[in-house]
Amino acid sequence: MLLEVRHLGKRFDGVRALDGVDLSVVAGSVHGLLGENGAGKSTLIKTLSGLVTPDSGEIRVDGALRGIAGVREAEALGFRFIHQELSLVPHFTAVENCFVGRPYPRRGPVIDRAAMRARVEPAARLVAPDLPLDLPAGRMTTGQKQLVEIVRALMTDGARLIVMDEPTASLSDGEAERLHRAVRALAAQGVAVIFISHRLDEVLAICDRYTVLRNGRTTGTGGIVGTTRADLIRLMSGHEERRPAPSAPVAPGRPVLELSDLPFGPSGGSVSLTVREGEIVGLYGLVGAGRSSLLKLVWGARHHAGGRIRIDDVELAPGRIDRRIAAGAAYVPEDRRGEGLVTQRSIADNLAIADLSAVRTHARLPVASARMLSARAMAIRDQLSIKMASPWAKPLTLSGGNQQKLLFGRWSGRKIRLLILDEPSRGVDVGAKAEIHAIVRQLAAQGAAVLMATSDMDELLALSSRVLVMAGGVMTAELAGDDIVPKTIVAAAFAHSDRKEQR
Amino acid sequence: MMSDLFGKYGTLFALILIVAAFAVASPGAFGTPGNLINITQQMSLLAIVSVGVTLVMAAGEFDLATASLVSFGGILVMVLFAAGVPAPLAFVIVLMAAGCFGAFSGFIVSHFQVLSFVATLAVGTIVGGVTFMLSDGATLFGGMPPGVRDIARGWTFGLPTLTWWMIGVSVAAWLLLDKIEFGRRLYAIGGNREAARLAGVRIVPNTMAAFALSAMLAALVGMLLTGRIGSANPTGGGGYLLTAYAAVFLGMTVFRDGEANVPGTLVGATIIAVISNGLTILGVSTFLQDIITGSIILAAVLVRRIGKAK
Repeated sequence: MLLEVRHLGKRFDGVRALDGVDLSVVAGSVHGLLGENGAGKSTLIKTLSGLVTPDSGEIRVDGALRGIAGVREAEALGFRFIHQELSLVPHFTAVENCFVGRPYPRRGPVIDRAAMRARVEPAARLVAPDLPLDLPAGRMTTGQKQLVEIVRALMTDGARLIVMDEPTASLSDGEAERLHRAVRALAAQGVAVIFISHRLDEVLAICDRYTVLRNGRTTGTGGIVGTTRADLIRLMSGHEERRPAPSAPVAPGRPVLELSDLPFGPSGGSVSLTVREGEIVGLYGLVGAGRSSLLKLVWGARHHAGGRIRIDDVELAPGRIDRRIAAGAAYVPEDRRGEGLVTQRSIADNLAIADLSAVRTHARLPVASARMLSARAMAIRDQLSIKMASPWAKPLTLSGGNQQKLLFGRWSGRKIRLLILDEPSRGVDVGAKAEIHAIVRQLAAQGAAVLMATSDMDELLALSSRVLVMAGGVMTAELAGDDIVPKTIVAAAFAHSDRKEQR
Repeated sequence: MMSDLFGKYGTLFALILIVAAFAVASPGAFGTPGNLINITQQMSLLAIVSVGVTLVMAAGEFDLATASLVSFGGILVMVLFAAGVPAPLAFVIVLMAAGCFGAFSGFIVSHFQVLSFVATLAVGTIVGGVTFMLSDGATLFGGMPPGVRDIARGWTFGLPTLTWWMIGVSVAAWLLLDKIEFGRRLYAIGGNREAARLAGVRIVPNTMAAFALSAMLAALVGMLLTGRIGSANPTGGGGYLLTAYAAVFLGMTVFRDGEANVPGTLVGATIIAVISNGLTILGVSTFLQDIITGSIILAAVLVRRIGKAK
């Protein structure tokens, strides 16, 4: 056994990322690693690459216990990683990219370009004989760039395990097929491949074995022969066939948000949907399904040509976030640090920035008073029970859950008609998650229409009165009431990759 | 707590130390009330330009057209005087023209998301070209209406008139950045542009306003400089670019954690002016002055950096 992982556990700030993962990989095989977003795949890979130290469990390589303390140790073990975000220098050719961060062959003080090429060629011949080695990476297709990364991983001696994180996610069918051949060629050379993918048909086609993770735990592993799509989906969703606790039934109110024929998605389709008063509409999908983009479009952070967005019968121009705020809309972005908080400014400032008129000393004068800023922060602190030292502290001194509450608190004191949430409880602990869910329910009960994107099945089931599923920029299912069943939801989330495979 | 105080006010302590050192080194010359007031006059034009730069830096951008706009302001006002335009109207025209250049830079930077470094370098070059065309490349003398010079020379209420200009502009800019909603928006944009945008802050008009105000202050300095020396040179503002940024960067080490702020900028401008004045009194050559000024700026930034790393 090349790699054996036993009962691996890891917590981040009280959040259980890994909770007993088992994984066994044999040399010369392709091993599919499956699971929904947040199932623990990335954390598992990070422990193998030495970026994350597990709290418990063991990693054995060739039967010997190993603590992988850093990237260099992982490299020394023969582990190579091909990440989703490719890290090639655009102006460098394939050959040049293979040598970034590695010792160059030299003749005297001068880099020996012929020797560079000679070192790259055997690896390239093995997996990608038609790869243009002298083309700058910036002019390659995504598929060709993936191949460069593979060649780069193979070029050094001693590559024994190659981990590929969704390598085909943004490839055309032809390119994906090219990559599949390269993966099989690798396995034929005795290299083990861990292949992470959301395209189940591809996993069934090229992998020898699979392991499915759910909520940081291995829920199933075995040989691909004799396994069906339905088996994999069942292992990934893992839920009972029935919804656990349906949230309070809502009397459908007046429509608040109406999207009509909004151009959306790579295939040139369009989206129409309505969210009513008091309704929580959950938007589910895999990473890259287009949920965040759709929410940004609704929020006015992205431009669109054609189609209509209306809030309470008022038509809103693209790109005018201020108009949406005036119409009573509120937005909590997915990426707290990158898109939510102004980390250099105080908590009080962060709470006030969306509506500075709330902290005026005199209603007519655009003067922001420190006293009002502080008073508002304290009021929101009490309202949402945010643990903070002072309104003038910086937001990053707070825990993830409290930072997230700041993004909700920002809209406090306004009559919220439409609440747009993108992963409202990502990366917060269980307690804060429950509090955030209570806030969302309360706002909906007060008449807000809520549109919430989430990859967290439990959150989706706990909050949604209606569920929309997206895949590849297209709505693949709309479910309500008793139809909100995990199995149906997950199947719809994977629907697009089916169609793509069949084309 | 002690290190916290030092981190926040270290540069201010440095200024006090420098002042004390000069007072001891040149008794009866540096520390006299007359000389200290003289320093406020010497630093005033630099301080006004720097305060303008502070507005742009608060929004997280650079404006490399600043120096060109100083020269432009000085030349344009002389051209207007020569054409017989009444002084008040001339002032307004100059400020509006500079404001347009600034707003243009701000638009390019915020709407097209061009690096401000590149965009304002180009705009600065254009402004420089316009300035040379207006002046035909020559230094402009004469035609200045009587009374205009008083705006930049002489004394008012017991202080040099230029010192009053500096005080007025600084107080206005401080109110704008720290007390008015506009300032909060600029700091939010400078802190995290995307977060500010998603929270409903309109990036383009706010950025344009910051650049326009900065450009107007640069042009104001151009006019004051012209009033002070009685002539305008098409490269008269050249010296202000690097020193203004030095003052703002020094200021970013005081009061606020790495944010451009008006009181900090004034401390920065004061340090630069005090060093220049003190060393001149001590008879140190101007070349050596530059070396010492540069070293002090580096030291201030490094001390803060190292203090932070701990």
